[in-house]
Amino acid sequence: MKDVETRPRRYSRVIILTILLASLPLIVGFSLLVISSFSTEMVTNLNPSSFHLTLENWISVFHGKLATTGGIRAPILRITLNTLIVALGVAGVVTAVSALAGYSLSRVNFRGRKHMMILLLVLHAFPGVALIVGVYLLYRLTFPQSMDIVRLYSFMYVIFARAALEIPMSVWLMKGFFDTIPWEFEWSGIIDGASRITVWRKIMLPLIKPGILAVALFAFLAGWQDIIYVRTFLIDQTLATFIEANIEAEFSHMPMIAAAGTLYLLPTIIFFITAQQLLLQGYSGGIKG
Amino acid sequence: MNVKREKLTTLSFFLSPMAVMVVLFYLVPLIMTVYISFTRMRNWNVSKYLTEFVGFYNYHRLLYMFQHDPTFKAVLLTTVVFVGITLIINVFGGLALALATFFIEDKPASAFRLLWLLPRMSPIAVYSLVWYYFFHGSEIGTLNSILMKLGVISQPIPWGQIVPWGAWSIIIFVNGLVGVSFGMIVFTSALNQIPKELVIAARVDGASSWQISRRILIPMIRWHLLYVLTWQFLSLLTTYPHLFLLVQWDLVNGDYGTTLALYVFNTAFGMGEQDQGLAAAAAVLLSVIGIIGGFVTLKVLKFERMMKRPRGDF
Amino acid sequence: MIEMVRIILDSITKKFDDFIALRNISLKIEDKEFMALLGPSGSGKSTLLYTIAGIYKPTGGRIYFGDRDITDIPPKDRNVGLVFQNWALYPHMKVFDNIAFPLELRKVPRQEITVKVREVARMLHIEDLLDRYPWQLSGGQQQRVAIARALVKEPDVLLLDEPLSNLDALLRIEVRAELKRLQKELGITAIYVTHDQAEALAMADRIAVIREGKILQVGTPDDVYYRPKYRFVGGFLGNPPMNFVDAEVDAENGYLNVYGSRIPVPAQYRELVEKLGIKEVLLGFRPHDAEVLREKREGLAGEVYSFEPLGREQIVTVSVDGAFVKVFAPEGEHFSFGEKVTVELREDRIVLFDKKTEKALEFLV
Repeated sequence: MKDVETRPRRYSRVIILTILLASLPLIVGFSLLVISSFSTEMVTNLNPSSFHLTLENWISVFHGKLATTGGIRAPILRITLNTLIVALGVAGVVTAVSALAGYSLSRVNFRGRKHMMILLLVLHAFPGVALIVGVYLLYRLTFPQSMDIVRLYSFMYVIFARAALEIPMSVWLMKGFFDTIPWEFEWSGIIDGASRITVWRKIMLPLIKPGILAVALFAFLAGWQDIIYVRTFLIDQTLATFIEANIEAEFSHMPMIAAAGTLYLLPTIIFFITAQQLLLQGYSGGIKG
Repeated sequence: MNVKREKLTTLSFFLSPMAVMVVLFYLVPLIMTVYISFTRMRNWNVSKYLTEFVGFYNYHRLLYMFQHDPTFKAVLLTTVVFVGITLIINVFGGLALALATFFIEDKPASAFRLLWLLPRMSPIAVYSLVWYYFFHGSEIGTLNSILMKLGVISQPIPWGQIVPWGAWSIIIFVNGLVGVSFGMIVFTSALNQIPKELVIAARVDGASSWQISRRILIPMIRWHLLYVLTWQFLSLLTTYPHLFLLVQWDLVNGDYGTTLALYVFNTAFGMGEQDQGLAAAAAVLLSVIGIIGGFVTLKVLKFERMMKRPRGDF
Repeated sequence: MIEMVRIILDSITKKFDDFIALRNISLKIEDKEFMALLGPSGSGKSTLLYTIAGIYKPTGGRIYFGDRDITDIPPKDRNVGLVFQNWALYPHMKVFDNIAFPLELRKVPRQEITVKVREVARMLHIEDLLDRYPWQLSGGQQQRVAIARALVKEPDVLLLDEPLSNLDALLRIEVRAELKRLQKELGITAIYVTHDQAEALAMADRIAVIREGKILQVGTPDDVYYRPKYRFVGGFLGNPPMNFVDAEVDAENGYLNVYGSRIPVPAQYRELVEKLGIKEVLLGFRPHDAEVLREKREGLAGEVYSFEPLGREQIVTVSVDGAFVKVFAPEGEHFSFGEKVTVELREDRIVLFDKKTEKALEFLV
């Protein structure tokens, strides 16, 4: 309870209605996309007569058919898998790096610690577009000669490059989570003869599981939703580049794109249902510093 | 001595992965970007142009374009308008949402907060797709069909092609909704840290929600307002993925839908003639603004004071 | 545990940036002794404990365990057991694993670990809880587990940082008797940090009273209770604490003037007062070392300000010309507000402090 309970309920209903009204475009926009994916025609014109329930779009999407007519096929499962690989890769790299660095920034006193933390903040605020030019040159200069590993290399590169963008904030977030663990846990381990690394692995990591989960989730979403890095570095297609490329293509059937978009939106929706508290807390956790 | 070495090993275990990432994907690229800005690099023809130095040629071109090129002028103007207005929407929208949800029951409050997180959490392509359909210039566009049903217009209008305000309105709207959630989350967590007794005491004294907000809540989260303002300013200055798709899909006008950040990206990676030398020079300019902005933010917000020293000497 | 463990702190100083937490602390703790570090919060007592454990490194001074200088030795090589205020039980480990953790770190063979854990668990009556997680235990049980974890590695020294302050009042009294017995049975040197004077008095062989990073007095419970070296010590120990009233010495006639009342200078101070030639003093006496009398006698004249029956006895607050003193009185007596009374003091228990330095006169010479 943060307010008196005797306040007329009328007021809070007015507020709720106001927010609802303000949120209307958001609700309408996303709903129309999802509904259109189950319809033969786009329902974005708000015309009820456009809506004819069908699963055709979804079936076509999973068959990789792009147009209602014609034989162009896109391996949608493969594309989804690519997206997943990038997202999981980014999540893995970010979580590992920030769990390590976050611990030492929170717990170990060393010279340059403060500067390192400030540097991370500045890097977080740094214009990503200024980096991507250089990151691409590095990509070109290190591009492997052998054609066999080109695709693998592009996956690796996009994962690490994209993960790097998330690292400053994630390290801060993770540091914030470590900060909340009472020092006594650490001291207890140290007195019993554990090294800092053992303390980290055996005591701290299990204690900040929720934090790790939050960081991993945010990193996953960052990798999942990315379009810029994926289209710049990845040879294979992901759902983002698939949608980007097909939106204006004449042969594409719009409800089918809507279905692909909804498919692409699925993890977000799943996280929304399963990890609400984590999402809301995760953001504020990192921000508090 | 032994203790020191042990500490060094420990530190390198914890910090080296991050150090490698920072060096590889921040420091080295930054140097490379600065380097490219002094070359005639175009179309990523590395073998041909990588060593062709042109001094400050690219910077001179930027200056020249600033004076004479209407497209570049449009880009700069768009940047100023976009950052300015979106910033206001972000900060005040976030504040309004945080305050509004503060005064209602927890269940609808977190439902609304979650809803407003949607723009940030959805894939950029999907989120842009939603607005692509919404503002589409034909009759499938939601906005057009609403207005036509209301009889305001008789023909569908390609809103994004009306320059400058049509294009500006769309990019501000689309990015504005993304940014609102940041302020909302920060303010909400700040509001929740205010002792609830203050609110209840004010209620007992007969204060309305509006008075409580103005006299108690907002003054107590001033630091957070400043934080969101400066931080969001930097993000807006450097954001471009959403704009990229809106322009790419031709929903908005290319000149008046492009900010400086997107201009850099499109100049370096866009379709047709690419000019990385010029893009890098513009990127360097942007970085200078960004770094100055970043340090000003740190000083203004007194971030250093928040950094507690770790305890213990082992 | 056959080895003699005597701890010597030699002029320990600890600074945190500009803040001086410990000032030149020297203290000897004898083998098998139970030493309490008593002080208000922020006095530096926990810092001192953690310095002994090796978590903090002193800015100046040396620490010895027996003859061994351990100042620069890392915590893990000091063989100390530490029980924390919040117990710091690892929530993701079962009780068994919590207790076994220090042994695992020492790479003790699994079989031996099981034996030792069971042994220490039996000693602390928690052998039925080994299979549970800490959050499934009551506060008292968690506390036992924490002690078991500290003892399982057979430490030379047991350090306890307010281990009882998270328990409710009744349990605390029960546990402190048990803890005292355990320490004597094991014959382990123990240092016990607390801000609760009753705990220190009840358990410790000796008490070191600490304030603002300095040791004010070290002594047996009797010493610090009845012969406080400073006004602060007298005021910090006892509940209610020692009473203090301003007094003026009339050396010629051998009297103390206390707000218009006159009492003779206590016998034990007569010589001292003369020698020191001191005029202004603080007169200190414990609430149970005085009596409230209705008839006029030699003592402090005043009137009853308030009275609080406590069952077996009552505390009477007497206003002596505006200065308040608290005195225990038997349960049966009935007082009324404003009643004129005399507070008669037990002469041999009176302590006189120098008003300026607030140091007891006998420690001035």
